[in-house]
Amino acid sequence: MYPEIYKLSKYHHPERWGKRSSEDVFKCHYCQAHVCTHPILSGVNNRNHCPYCLRSRHIDLLQAGDRMSACKAIMEPIGLTVKQRQKKYGNGRTGELMLIHRCSECGKLSINRVAADDLTERLMDIFYTSFGLDVFTQQQLKASGIQLLLGADHKLVTTQLHGMIQH
Amino acid sequence: MHISFTEMYDGRPTFTGVVYKKTIGNYTVHHDGLAVLCELSNRIRKQLIYPTADPGSLRQRVQKVVELEHMDPLAVGDEVRYIQAEDGKGLIVELLPRRNKLTRRSAVPKPLHHGAHPFEQIIVTNVDQVVPVIAAAQPDPKWNLLDRYLASAEAGGIGSLICITKLDLVKKNEQALTAALDEYQRIGYSYVLTSSFSGEGIEVLRETLARRTSVLVGKSGVGKTALLNALQPGLGLRVKEVNQATGKGRHTTTNLEMFPFKGGGAIVDTPGTREFGLLEFDDDPALLFPEMRSLVGKCRFGMDCSHNEEPGCTIRKAVMEGQINPRRYQSYLVLNKELLDVSRNL
Repeated sequence: MYPEIYKLSKYHHPERWGKRSSEDVFKCHYCQAHVCTHPILSGVNNRNHCPYCLRSRHIDLLQAGDRMSACKAIMEPIGLTVKQRQKKYGNGRTGELMLIHRCSECGKLSINRVAADDLTERLMDIFYTSFGLDVFTQQQLKASGIQLLLGADHKLVTTQLHGMIQH
Repeated sequence: MHISFTEMYDGRPTFTGVVYKKTIGNYTVHHDGLAVLCELSNRIRKQLIYPTADPGSLRQRVQKVVELEHMDPLAVGDEVRYIQAEDGKGLIVELLPRRNKLTRRSAVPKPLHHGAHPFEQIIVTNVDQVVPVIAAAQPDPKWNLLDRYLASAEAGGIGSLICITKLDLVKKNEQALTAALDEYQRIGYSYVLTSSFSGEGIEVLRETLARRTSVLVGKSGVGKTALLNALQPGLGLRVKEVNQATGKGRHTTTNLEMFPFKGGGAIVDTPGTREFGLLEFDDDPALLFPEMRSLVGKCRFGMDCSHNEEPGCTIRKAVMEGQINPRRYQSYLVLNKELLDVSRNL
């Protein structure tokens, strides 16, 4: 019925039986869209942003999923990056595409995996607008160890979003 | 023996004592150092157990049955008035007003069904301080549970003293433990580090508990009874080790009992509690957290602020500025949500 990759047994574990189905759906605080978090649709276990407006919320404080932040403000998508791989002989820039978010109130930066159902057009818009990021934000990203994708990475972004281009 | 001649009951003199232990139908009442086994007068039982539900309630009948099933009119620590019966036993005829009480919300299956609803369980009354007992290891400290003990004590208007046991298990690596405890000290809770095994800190704790009535509360297996054995050698109370496979306690102490303390005062030993919640709190639950108390009412929405997502919330701002521990803030949010769920019968 479902591809084995999604490991349905994990999501049908007895620990999840008591949970209400409404916990698998959230309403975007920015665009008010109802978003299903089930991995069957998004391909990720921890969906943290709306697939339509790509905005997130600042609810994690120290590590992903701790839900300990009191800020709870909207996090704006400001650019794209790639996951840094720690392979000894691999290319460091071949990891999967990630969204960079910045908190609209406290300015905290975070990155999150791009999900399968994220709007590609919106992702490309953010990629293009990120070329004009101010110097302060760029320095902040550099200090945080986040490598912003710029014009030279256009092919990488399109390949990640649309697949390899056949000639 | 002090006889209160002003208070007569059916022409017989009454005595005043404190309930030290209760079993089904029997209460051990201490009066001037003497223990008297007492029973409860039917008159007081009926007077206290009669349903008090709203007559307009559609479910009055069910509510009455639940109350009859669970209600115990007396708790350990209660001051009572009793008369001497012919067989040497006593008969409790009056419950005197309580100075304070430590309560918790009874555990009920979730989701609620078939009319089951939580009720208030009185753990102990008329105490001077609550001593939440937390093990340094085996089982690992549950700081959120500690927050609930402290909040319950605040709700009852009782002071608290945090007691850490099994210090010998983390002797070489106690920085994380003391860092967490310093956070509590900063907001006004004092703590004692002890080990029943090595005897460390026992003397300090003994001095802190002397001349006061204290109640030990904590998870199963944290060492409440072992601590009592160390404080008062000769009690010989039954203790067991935690389960090595699960790391959980074994529910060894099964009843509440108050023990007179040699230095004056008394200590109440309680069975382990895995969950501890409040049944109701009429005011803002943030008042139960001393570090948030001064900020309540100063939010943009005043007393209507739930301190969760409202703009202009001073408590959220204080968390962001580092004045309030984020973990304590999360404890507050969970407690607040639970109180709302209980009030909505969810």
